[in-house]
Amino acid sequence: MNYPVWELSMGGGVLMAAVSVLHVFVSHFAVGGGLWLVLTERLAIRRQDPELRAFVKSQSRVFILVTLVFGAITGVGIWSTAALISPHGIIALIRAYLWGWAMEWVFFVVEICAALVYWYGWERLSARTHQAVGWIYFVSAFMSLVIINGIITFMLTPGEWLETRAFWDGFFNPTYWPSLVLRTFASAAMAGLFTLLTAAYLRRGPARISAVRWSAVWVIAGLAATGAVFQWYGAALADALPGWADQAAGALPVLPTVLSLLRIGLLLGVLVALWPLSAPRTWNPLGGWLLFAAGLAVFAGGEWIREAARKPYIIHGYLYSTGLRVDQEPEVAARGAGAFTRWRDPAAATPAARGADLYRAWCQPCHTLDGYNGLRPYLVHWSDAQITEFLPRLQHMRGLMPAWHGSAQDTAELTTRLAEARDGREAVFPADAGEAAALAFDLHCGLCHTVDDYRPLRDSLAGLDRDELDADVLDLLEDYTDEMPPYLADGTERTHLLDFLETVASEDDDDERSES
Amino acid sequence: MNAYVPATDPLPLPAPAALLTALLHLTFVLHLLFMNGLLGGAVVALAARLSRRAPEDLYDRTLTRVSKLLPTLFAGTVTFGVAPLLFMQVLYGRFFYTSSIVMGGPWFALIPLLICAYYGTYLNAFRGERLGRWRVAIVGLTAAALAWVGFMFTNNTGLMLTPDRWAGLYFAAPGGSSLNLGDATIWPRYLHMLLGAVAVAGILLALLARTVKDDRELAVHLAGRGVALFLGATIVNLLAGFWLLVALREDVMMTFMGGTPLGTALLTIGLLLTLLLLWLGFRARGRPVGTPLVVAAAAQLVVMVLMRHEVRRAYLADVHAPADLAVATQGLNMAIFAALLVGGLATVAWMLRRLFGGR
Repeated sequence: MNYPVWELSMGGGVLMAAVSVLHVFVSHFAVGGGLWLVLTERLAIRRQDPELRAFVKSQSRVFILVTLVFGAITGVGIWSTAALISPHGIIALIRAYLWGWAMEWVFFVVEICAALVYWYGWERLSARTHQAVGWIYFVSAFMSLVIINGIITFMLTPGEWLETRAFWDGFFNPTYWPSLVLRTFASAAMAGLFTLLTAAYLRRGPARISAVRWSAVWVIAGLAATGAVFQWYGAALADALPGWADQAAGALPVLPTVLSLLRIGLLLGVLVALWPLSAPRTWNPLGGWLLFAAGLAVFAGGEWIREAARKPYIIHGYLYSTGLRVDQEPEVAARGAGAFTRWRDPAAATPAARGADLYRAWCQPCHTLDGYNGLRPYLVHWSDAQITEFLPRLQHMRGLMPAWHGSAQDTAELTTRLAEARDGREAVFPADAGEAAALAFDLHCGLCHTVDDYRPLRDSLAGLDRDELDADVLDLLEDYTDEMPPYLADGTERTHLLDFLETVASEDDDDERSES
Repeated sequence: MNAYVPATDPLPLPAPAALLTALLHLTFVLHLLFMNGLLGGAVVALAARLSRRAPEDLYDRTLTRVSKLLPTLFAGTVTFGVAPLLFMQVLYGRFFYTSSIVMGGPWFALIPLLICAYYGTYLNAFRGERLGRWRVAIVGLTAAALAWVGFMFTNNTGLMLTPDRWAGLYFAAPGGSSLNLGDATIWPRYLHMLLGAVAVAGILLALLARTVKDDRELAVHLAGRGVALFLGATIVNLLAGFWLLVALREDVMMTFMGGTPLGTALLTIGLLLTLLLLWLGFRARGRPVGTPLVVAAAAQLVVMVLMRHEVRRAYLADVHAPADLAVATQGLNMAIFAALLVGGLATVAWMLRRLFGGR
């Protein structure tokens, strides 16, 4: 609303996610790897094992190349990408947590310097000093996590900060501790993952066996502990975000799936890591890459869940993804979103062109037309009247959107813009009757309801016949509550929807549940 | 007041603007030292590679020495780049973010480009000799990438100062493919920065000569090349500086020519320091570079940073006054930061002393 919106056909969120997942993956490795290096160096000294020491040394070089270069630059990359995608969010975070970032920067300086001294000091420093530098590296990397964890958990569960605006209230927020412990164990697992991969390329011999075994222990212990702490984190999240339980229960149907995949990924990771532990001789690069890919997938899933749980906010309860602050809502609602859309093209003369500015400012921060959170698949089925009915009710949708506070004129202009994206394309239903019926449901009822889980419809529909569904349900929707838009579709779509509702109304509840 | 300038964020500054500005300057000077060493060093490495006639000749040895320094200079540039970026954003975020979005595509592209350039310096440092004919390509591409990064920063830090240009560029390309090429200051500004980097790198090269104890011939060569580079770049840069001065918006230019006491004083001091530097440089030819030259160059860097800030202040004067922003000083957090900074720098000093001073 305040800033221009960078128009990306893939969606800014996807780009942000790509940069973040890569950085988060590497930065956890940077933390866990620091501990791995210094503990493994000590192990090599105690066992008087020069080959293991040589492995740690080569590992520290990989480490520099991965964390100093890729980790540091993608870290800056998160910042710059976030500033491009959600400038409102990043400026608020910098204002509120400037000193947090500044403290983290000090640890960053120490961390980078320690990593370089550690690498250049293998032959130049005494074993004792070298290990001390290793510890300095690990502690400063871990302290970075300690601080950044406060800021990212703040975004999701700002807790008391919403009232007090006090730095430490937001920092030590309701999910701070479980998240910190979670990420610490995940870091240890990451270190094991990376070293299992590099150890797979070592020359065969006793050193390779001990390196492989030792790293497998890191993976197994790290992932198992991560899995255990994940329950704690989930409970803290459910406690802090009342809406989270709804989402996990099916408001976002894909969320439970991702959660299960995440658990399966953790379990599989532990199981695969039993291989290098029990048969280290047979460990090979293929296994290393598999485990590595699994780790990346687990991180992507975890970060995705964190982002999904935060919808539709950048800072929960304070700032929406569109850049609108919660405290601004009454004023925006009174004067209309158009009056708060700073970036309006002076050349925009038609309603569609004015609507395009509104679309960019208020829809595009989260949506694309054909890509991520794509709107066109819906729009092609909607009439202008339907779009106009949906817009003022967005906040009730199960996908968690901020309210649209457009004036009548704003809504008309935005509708024109959305209709333009639809025009010229045909509304096609799948040939399969079941799929067509499901699509008709998704296009209307499914925006706010699911059949059984979230605002379930099954009980209200039970026993109704097709005529009742048509005349008493669809035709009277707007009389039920203000939140519900009227049903305006006719013809094919209505027929498909009635097919769907009729099936639901006639099905036995228990049968359906056990089937699904 | 330009309608496109975003409203300032309602969250207060966590410290007085003057303190944040001071921290911005301090960390920016450190960033420039590393950045100049890196960018200028990459240019020096490229020149050395191109001048190399045989393995182990003087240029080859120069290339080896300089190449080994570049990754660490890169680390310093990035590390000390983060802090001024942070302090600049807290004060000028609404300008910087908008201009970044207007040039979103090329701005984002810096991330993969920086990663490639960074690996380029490591490849050259660790594997340089084994690269054979490819080495010239790696060094050349790295230098070109770094020069491009600098050009993008010049684009963005210039565009953030001219809100009047934003809407035209943005609505012509909302996908963020615009650059700030229509700004009259862009070329002199970039040239001024680039030549400054080469000049500082010249001094660093001459300083490097002082650490070369095992190769007398190379030490003499580096000292001579360094001072020559410094002198050549500085003389041309004097012209680039004048070009930049006259390219500035008229009221901004006048800031330095009687408009404000600070601006006028800075320009005067800058010119005097340049003359001093040239005199010291000509005197230093054929001799090890002396401390006065290094101190004067460092002072010049500070003057340039302050002048650059005056340019920013003057360009934004009618839309932005950092001193007017709401402030809620977080005293405890500032104290923690200061304590950590002291402890952190002491730790860094300890590690470096151990590394360079023996066990």
